[in-house]
Amino acid sequence: MTRDRATVLPLLFFLGTVVSLGQTQPAPIETEAVQVTGLSGVKQNTKGSLKVENGSLSFVYSKGNCDLPAASIQDVVTGRDSQRVIGGTVGTLSRLAPYGGGTAMSLLRTKLDTITIQYQDSNGGLHGAIFTLPVGHAEAIKEQLLAQGARTSIPSKPEPTTDPSAQSEAKEQLR
Amino acid sequence: MKSIKTAIILWTLIAGLGAAPLPCAQEHVLARENATAKASAIQIEMMQAGEVSLPAEFRVALYENLIQEMQKGSGFPEVYRDGDRNAAGAPDLVILHTTVTGFKQGSELKRDVTTVGGATSITVLCQFTDREGRVLLERSIDGKVRLIGDNLKATDDFAKKTAKLASECFTPDRSDSESPSAILR
Repeated sequence: MTRDRATVLPLLFFLGTVVSLGQTQPAPIETEAVQVTGLSGVKQNTKGSLKVENGSLSFVYSKGNCDLPAASIQDVVTGRDSQRVIGGTVGTLSRLAPYGGGTAMSLLRTKLDTITIQYQDSNGGLHGAIFTLPVGHAEAIKEQLLAQGARTSIPSKPEPTTDPSAQSEAKEQLR
Repeated sequence: MKSIKTAIILWTLIAGLGAAPLPCAQEHVLARENATAKASAIQIEMMQAGEVSLPAEFRVALYENLIQEMQKGSGFPEVYRDGDRNAAGAPDLVILHTTVTGFKQGSELKRDVTTVGGATSITVLCQFTDREGRVLLERSIDGKVRLIGDNLKATDDFAKKTAKLASECFTPDRSDSESPSAILR
């Protein structure tokens, strides 16, 4: 009986540790992204996928991939933007559509998130990179980067507190 | 007869005054227009927002486009980024400091629909200095997007103009010659 207990207890302790570690590290998010500018060796407006994994930001595109260690990222800022649904050369030509068709097409726009990062290369040189992502993904990427050692000049908004005593303290400080 | 003479003199004076450049309208150029300085490398410092509120993506796009255009069209053999340790060993290094003095964020949608409104414009004070911080050239350059393209295209316009200015005012130096400041002053 005591032998059983001696076997089960360490096993439970081990499993509990594994579960708690799993809860503290969120699952890596992979999202579609367009690299607007900044990554060395990657052309402007390159489509690919962006994810944060093993302490680095990874951009994978058709011709290769580019990894940036999260610790080298000095600033991560997110933003909002919008773009024409029909872009590129076709979008430019569509402006010539008759009877105001081109203008009407301009009104068709999709919202998107932007994520702007500043990072240092091995020589200490400062780089900047801009990505556009589907709405709602930039903040998650930012959170993961911050968790893995990146820094930001604009911290994320703190979650609203539900503790009534804390709320009253905050009100007191405001007065 | 006298009145005609007076009228002619007055007209000449007015015309002369109109043609003379006003001091406030002059661009702030410290270097002579025709003078070119020899420089072997340029280092681009990260854009300072100054008192203007500038979105992060514009700041980064200005910096990155500036580096790309300098590598393509300025004629400098070496272009270094802000903080690059290799710049320390470069002879005749010119450092470009940039401060945003004006920014108006337009709207691509407005540009598409109205074709006259919604322009985005950025005005940047560019200071080319030597390693000791002496100003070799100072000029205010703007970047605009008026009709086609997203707002960040204004940064591309600015970068092209700045690279052109650099190519006009500095010539690549591949030998041990005078420092840039010695030639311009």
